[in-house]
Amino acid sequence: MLSYSRMKSIGVQVQGPESRVVSGVLEDELYGMECHIQVSCPDFTITSVQARMKRFTTIRCPRAMETFARAEGWKFDAELNGKIKKEIGRLGCRHMAVLMVDCCRSLARAEFARELQTAQKNDPNLDKKSFIQDFLGKYASLSDYLKLQ
Amino acid sequence: MILDFQSNHLTTVEDLGQGLFRICSRADDALFSAEILLDVKAPALDIRKADLVVKRDVLGIIPDPGPAAEKLIGVRVGPGMTKIVRGLLGGPAGSDRISEMVLEAMEMLVNALTVPELKKGMDSGGLSTKLEMDGPRVFLNDVLIGEETVGIMAENPRLKNSCAAFSDLD
Repeated sequence: MLSYSRMKSIGVQVQGPESRVVSGVLEDELYGMECHIQVSCPDFTITSVQARMKRFTTIRCPRAMETFARAEGWKFDAELNGKIKKEIGRLGCRHMAVLMVDCCRSLARAEFARELQTAQKNDPNLDKKSFIQDFLGKYASLSDYLKLQ
Repeated sequence: MILDFQSNHLTTVEDLGQGLFRICSRADDALFSAEILLDVKAPALDIRKADLVVKRDVLGIIPDPGPAAEKLIGVRVGPGMTKIVRGLLGGPAGSDRISEMVLEAMEMLVNALTVPELKKGMDSGGLSTKLEMDGPRVFLNDVLIGEETVGIMAENPRLKNSCAAFSDLD
């Protein structure tokens, strides 16, 4: 018998050259969460967060909503992961923090995948290892979120 | 608006009976796809079987995690598992992506085991609610565990620190 199931689905939009929107949904037996994060480019700063706790368990859970907007102004850097886990996860809701971290990773991977696809179109024999090095040099702030390996 | 990138992740925990749980997880995005399977036995919650398969690795840089799966046998779901799993599967010679998937799968077993506790709390201390943030036509949170029961549940070792709602009580 199935006793637990968690689904996470994340999508990234390119809204012009200077804006990305990443949307995430998490559904499991206990929680239903969704968040939409707008990020400016090329500085990769979170400009807006719209997050909704759809389904939760305790009367305390809605208090977590107060913490979500803290992420506005946070940059993709080595600290972001820890800040989300600490300020949104520990003080607010761990499940929303998990989703937001995954959204950040997806955004970084989306940037990488798009540039990789373009580079491969231009050079079908592209050296992928060199491409990775070039990308990391160009977008150092995304390196902690790519999880390529 | 057409999406530029998608990532999907599904993890299931199945109770096979006699204390054996099977956790299956699959992650997919444009660059990577992998499936993992863990069999975990109660009461020690130790891993009895582990299969780790990378289905798609566009960059071709993820080492075959198959041989490393053997090292997971005997690892227990519980305190310290993060450091152990990252040490066994992650790092430059391994795959941080696979180690994160394994850890999330293990965490889902913890969640599965907390569901009965939360159901008990819901049954004994559930309050009928109609929150402003819910609805307005369909209400997903018609019953929530009330403050008093939250306080009692926070002392349950199975729930302690499992969630912000059960810690840092003022």
